[in-house]
Amino acid sequence: MIQTGPLFLRVVAIEPLSPRLKRITLQSAEGGLLPLSQPGAHLTLTLPGPGRGHRNAYSIVSPCDRRDHYQLIIRRAPASRGGSRHVHEVMAVGDVLEAAAPNSQFSIQSQTRKHLMIAGGVGLTPMLSLTSALRARGAHIELHQIAHVDEVAVFEALLAGERNVHIHTGRAKLDLTNLLARQPLGTHLYCCGPQAMMEAARDAAVALGWPETSLHQESFGAAGGAPFILRLARSGLEIAVGEHDTMLEAIEAAGVAAPSLCRGGACGVCLTSVIEGAPEHRDHVLSEAERAEGRKVLPCVSRSTTPYLVLDL
Amino acid sequence: MPKREGGMSDHVIKSMPVYAPIRLDRSGRRHLLLADDVAALPTGLAADLSPDAFDERWLVVRQSQAIPSPDEHARDRPYRSDAHVLQALKWRLTSETMGLRLYAIGKEAFVWSVWNVALSFGLGGREVQLCASPAGPRRVYCNHCRTINEAATTNIVVCAGCRAPLYVRDHFSRRLNAYAGVQVDAEAPGEVPPIEVLYP
Repeated sequence: MIQTGPLFLRVVAIEPLSPRLKRITLQSAEGGLLPLSQPGAHLTLTLPGPGRGHRNAYSIVSPCDRRDHYQLIIRRAPASRGGSRHVHEVMAVGDVLEAAAPNSQFSIQSQTRKHLMIAGGVGLTPMLSLTSALRARGAHIELHQIAHVDEVAVFEALLAGERNVHIHTGRAKLDLTNLLARQPLGTHLYCCGPQAMMEAARDAAVALGWPETSLHQESFGAAGGAPFILRLARSGLEIAVGEHDTMLEAIEAAGVAAPSLCRGGACGVCLTSVIEGAPEHRDHVLSEAERAEGRKVLPCVSRSTTPYLVLDL
Repeated sequence: MPKREGGMSDHVIKSMPVYAPIRLDRSGRRHLLLADDVAALPTGLAADLSPDAFDERWLVVRQSQAIPSPDEHARDRPYRSDAHVLQALKWRLTSETMGLRLYAIGKEAFVWSVWNVALSFGLGGREVQLCASPAGPRRVYCNHCRTINEAATTNIVVCAGCRAPLYVRDHFSRRLNAYAGVQVDAEAPGEVPPIEVLYP
C-alpha cells in the first residue's frame, strides 16, 4: 500500500509513565491496518495550536511490523510551544489526529558488526524500534541510557528484556571517550538526545578516529531563539518568526506551501535558497562549506542571525 | 576507496575500479600499510607521502625464511606470501578498535583480498584505501561453472573447470575479486575470435 494523503488516527490509550512522559497508543480512525513503518521511524502529528497548528515528529516505539497500532512516548517539553502541552493536558482517548505516514531517517546499518546506542532521556524512543528489529536478527547491541534519577525506573521498565543495557544517572556518569575508545572495528554509533550530548558523543568519536559514516544521530528538532522577520521573495510576504516558532511553521501558517518531510533537519527536503541575510544553521544536512557559504537553509530547524532573512520562496 | 568507472561501449558495460595514489587519512588514529611488493610503494603513495608516515608497514617479501618480528611494536614486518600477510591481518583485526585506517598497495587481486578481509570485519570505504596497478594477468571468474581461473593473459581463456572458451570482460567484481568471463561462442557455437595477449 502506498500512503499518499494524511493518516487519521484515533487515540485509544494514554498512559502516564512519569509526571513528564506519556505513552500514546493510536489506531486507524477508519479501522483497518496502518502503513508499515521502518525501524527508527517517526510519525509527524498535527496537533491543535494557533494558526494551522503544530506539526511535531515523534518516534514510533512500537515494533515496526505492528500494523494494528502505533505507540509514541511524548515528553512534556519544559518550554513547550504547545505541541507536547496539548498531549499532556488536553488530549483525550477518542480524539482523532491527522498525521503524515511514518518516515525513517535513522535506519539500521546492516553491514555493521556491533550497534552501539547512546540515548539521553526520551531520546531512547527511536532506539526502541531499532532494538526490537535488531534483536530479531540476533545482532550485537550495547545500549547506554542517560536518565534523571527519578526516571531510572521508567527507562528500566522500557528496556526490560534487552541485554547489554546500561543506565547512567546523568551525563557525567558516562565516560564517552572511554566507551568509544574500546569499541571493536565495525561498530556503528546511534545517538539520540539533547543536542549537547549528541555533539559531545560525536566529537569524542571523531577525535578517536571514527569515520563520519559510522556515526548516526536523530534530533528532536531545535528549540527557539531570537525572533526575526522572514521575507519571501516570490510573494513579497513578510512573516514574523517568533522566538518559539520554527521558520517552516511560520511559512505554513502564512498559507505558503513549502515542502518538508522530517521536520528535524535531517532529510533536506525543505532546503531553500537564501537571497539576503545570514542563516543560523541547526541542521545535519549541509556541509561545513555550505554552512559557511550561507546560500542555503533548512527552515524546519534553522533560524537567522540577522533581523531579516530573505528566502527564494 | 577507488571509484568505479562506468559507461556503455557497443556491446558490454565496462566496470573497473579506478585507483589513485594513497593519501594519509589524518582523521584516523592508527595507520597500517600493507604492500605485496616493496617496489610498488613509490607509485602507490602520493608524491608527498613517505612510508614513514605509517605506524606499521607489513611487506610481502616472498622468502620462505621470512619471520615476522615477535615484537608487538615492530614497525616493519616481513611476510612470506600474500596468504601469510592476509592471515596475519585477520588475526590483527579481531582485536583492533575503531580508529584504524588500512591501506593496501600492490596487484589488483592482492588489494581486493585485503578489502574483503576488511569488509568481513565491518570496515567501510572510509577506513580503507587501495591502490592497485591493474596491469598484468587477470583472475577470471567463469560465469557458467563458478571456477576462478588464475592469471589469464589473453582476451579469451579456456575455463579450467568446464572447458568453456571465456571472453574476459572489462568487468571486475569486488566481491569475487575477479573479472567476469562469459562463453565467447554461446550464440554461435564454434565461432571463437582470434586469441590475443592483452594482459601480459
